Amino acid sequence: MKFLLYLLLALVVVPFQTTLLHYFSVFGVRPDLGLVAACLVGFLGGELDGLILGLILGCFQDMLSAGDLWINVVTKGGSGFLAGLAGRHMAHITPAVMTAGLAIISCLSSAVFLYSLNPADLDEVWLGVRSTIVVQAALDAAVGAGLYLLFRQRWSDDRMVTEGML
Amino acid sequence: MAISRSTYGTRRLAIVLFACLLIALFLLPSQSQRLLQYVGGPLGQVLSVPLAAFSTVDHGISETWSGYVALQAVHEENRQLRRDIDLLKGQNNQLRESVAAAQRYETLLSFKQQSPSQTVAAQVIGRDATNWYRGMILNKGEGDGVRPEMGVVTPAGVVGRIVKTNSTSSVVLLVTDPNNAIAGVVQRTRDEGVVEGTSNGRARLKYIPLLSRVQAGDRVVTSGLTGTFPRGLAIGGLTQVEKSEGDLFQSAEIEPEVDLSKLDEVLIITAPYDDAEAAQKLLQEIHGDRKKP
Repeated sequence: MKFLLYLLLALVVVPFQTTLLHYFSVFGVRPDLGLVAACLVGFLGGELDGLILGLILGCFQDMLSAGDLWINVVTKGGSGFLAGLAGRHMAHITPAVMTAGLAIISCLSSAVFLYSLNPADLDEVWLGVRSTIVVQAALDAAVGAGLYLLFRQRWSDDRMVTEGML
Repeated sequence: MAISRSTYGTRRLAIVLFACLLIALFLLPSQSQRLLQYVGGPLGQVLSVPLAAFSTVDHGISETWSGYVALQAVHEENRQLRRDIDLLKGQNNQLRESVAAAQRYETLLSFKQQSPSQTVAAQVIGRDATNWYRGMILNKGEGDGVRPEMGVVTPAGVVGRIVKTNSTSSVVLLVTDPNNAIAGVVQRTRDEGVVEGTSNGRARLKYIPLLSRVQAGDRVVTSGLTGTFPRGLAIGGLTQVEKSEGDLFQSAEIEPEVDLSKLDEVLIITAPYDDAEAAQKLLQEIHGDRKKP
C-alpha cells in the first residue's frame, strides 16, 4: 500500500517538476522536488521509506533527464536513506533542523552531479557551486521547510504513533 | 356694461386682425413672411432665455435620472459588459495563440517541405528533470520512429540531439549543453570545427585551424560529417574569436541561432537525407566545391 502511495507521489512530483516548476525558478534554477520529497519522507518515515521513494523518484527523473541513467536513482535514493538515518537519531525535528538537513543533503547530491559532469578546471567547479549548488540548496531547504510547516501536525502525530508502537 | 362692450369690441378687433393676417398670408405670402421674420427675431431672443433655463433643468433632471436613479440598471449592464469583455478578451487571446501557432506550423511545414531530410514534428512538453543538463522533453518517442542520436532542428537552426527515448517521449540535449558536440563549419572560410556547449549557456566552436581567418560575425553551419544533421543547417554566429599563445587551434564563442528558451515545436531528423538522389546531389555539390580553385 505504501509502495503504491509512493508510486503515485512520484507520478505527480516528477511531471510537475519537468513541466510547471520553471515558473518558480530562481536564476534559472528550480528546486528539486524529488529530492525534497525523498528527504521529507526519509526524515519522518525512516530510512527504508526514504530510500524506496528516492529510488522511484530517481528512476522517473532519469527517464526525463539528459544525464546518465543511474545518477538520479543513486542521488535521490541516497538522499532519502541519509535523511532517514539522520531523522532516526534526532529527538526533535524542528523546521530549522529540517532546513539545515535539506540544505546539506541537497549540496551533497549536487556535488555528485557536478563530479559526474567532469568539470575541466576549478573555475568550472566554482561556477557550478555558485550558479547551481548554492541556489538549489537554498530552494530545496525553503520548499522542504515550507512543506514541513504546512503538514507538521499530521507528521508529528504519525511519528508519535510510530514511536509508540515501536 | 361698459366693460362688456369693451370686451366685445376687443374680441371683434382680434377677430378682424386675425382675419386680416390670414388674408395677408394668403394674398401676400412673401411680404407676410418677411414681416413675421422681422417680428420673430427679437421675440426669439426673448424666448431663448426661459428656453435655456428650462432646458438646463430638463438636462439636469435627465442626467440625475440616468446617472443616479437609473444607476442600478446601469450597474447591472456594466457588470454584464465587463463579463462580456473578459470573455472576448479570453477568446481574443485564444485566437491570437491559434494564429501564432498556425504561423509557426506553417513555417515548420514550409521548412519540412524544403528540407532534404526526413523529419518528424514534435512539441516541447517539458524541461530536463534536473538543473544540471540543458535538455528538453519532446512528445515523440520510439513509437514515432525517434531514436537516440537523431538531430533536432527548427527552421531557424540546430536545437540539439536526442539522447534518450521511450515509447512516447524523448529527451533532447541542447546545443548549449557542455556534453553536446556537433561538427560545424564556418560558412565564409569553410573551416571545420566542433561545436560544444559552454557553462554560461552559449556554445563554442573548437579546433579551428590556427591560420584560419575567422572573425566575429561569421556564421557557423553544420558540416554534415557526423550523420546526425544534414549539411548547411545554421548553428549560430561567432561573437568572439580566441587565439592564445602556444595553442594549436583557435576557438570562438557562438551565439546560437535558435532562441532555446522559447521553443514550442521542433523537427526531429529521422534521416538526414531523404533518398539516394538527394545524397547523390549533395555528393556532387561537395565534389563541385572541391574542384573550384
